[in-house]
Amino acid sequence: MRYTEQVTSTVSKPPMLAIALLAVVFAFGLFIVGYDQGHLFSIVQGAEAYEELYMHEMTHDMRHAAGFPCH
Amino acid sequence: MKTLLFILIVLISGALAGTVHGIVNLGIVEPYLDQAIGIENQNLFEAGKEEDTPQFWAEYSAYRDWQKGGQVLAGAILGTSIGALFGIVYAFSRQILPGNNDVKKTFLLAGIMWFTLYLIPFLKYPANPPTVGDGETVVLRAILYLSFIAISGFGAVGFYQVYKRLKQNIKVLALVGYAAFIGMTFVLMPPNPDEVTAPMDLVNEFRIMSVLGVTVFWITAAVILGMLWHKLRPDSEISIK
Ligand SMILES: [Zn+2]
Repeated sequence: MRYTEQVTSTVSKPPMLAIALLAVVFAFGLFIVGYDQGHLFSIVQGAEAYEELYMHEMTHDMRHAAGFPCH
Repeated sequence: MKTLLFILIVLISGALAGTVHGIVNLGIVEPYLDQAIGIENQNLFEAGKEEDTPQFWAEYSAYRDWQKGGQVLAGAILGTSIGALFGIVYAFSRQILPGNNDVKKTFLLAGIMWFTLYLIPFLKYPANPPTVGDGETVVLRAILYLSFIAISGFGAVGFYQVYKRLKQNIKVLALVGYAAFIGMTFVLMPPNPDEVTAPMDLVNEFRIMSVLGVTVFWITAAVILGMLWHKLRPDSEISIK
């Protein structure tokens, strides 16, 4: 007679695809809040974006509050 | 590991904790930002660059409302970002973190990351309210700040490797090593080039609130990630033997 046993085991190796994706999210989010000076919108708007700094204005207060360098 | 579940709980816990951070900041940090920007406005009036008219104030308040709304959204974006890093490190370190449940483990890891990636860099390059920073030096300051965070973070990882290899009774040497390494970095890194011209009381109170806000973020992120991980166990696999 054979027994089947259900085993819950912990898999130690995190999936590399997930790690890579989260690393991109990390870098992108940090850039937007901490360092963007209009770069992102300039892709669609051209140089005007640098004048408007929409993204910068939106993330501006958090940037100061979280300790990133600003004005 | 269940890849999708892992990604989802990491992103959700970061976004939620970041939203909480943004909302908390609306209450505790914004009053200081308003004061600092008030000083900037006075300077503009005195320099004759703007006029103290109702029209100026109407534009100003619309602009500040936009920025304040952004605080919460930017909190969610930043939280998702930092939360992603937190999730990556947790996935690699979960098995070696002490503690018998996920919330204890996430708390300890959050404490270490808060200390090495935030508090230590903050002590060298503390947060400043508006008007303090010089636009000319912002790139330099960004590089300095980010470098210090990276040095402290990779330093912690490096000294953890030392810690693992040391015998039980001399493990404390790894901590001493990290402290010496950070102390040296602290002294060698150039200071923030900007002079603080804003009233020091305002700057100091702003800094305290800034630290409180970021601390709330790390606590919230630890609780949410720990609870979700404990409940959903993205790292477990059921197999039939
Ligand atoms: Zn600013």
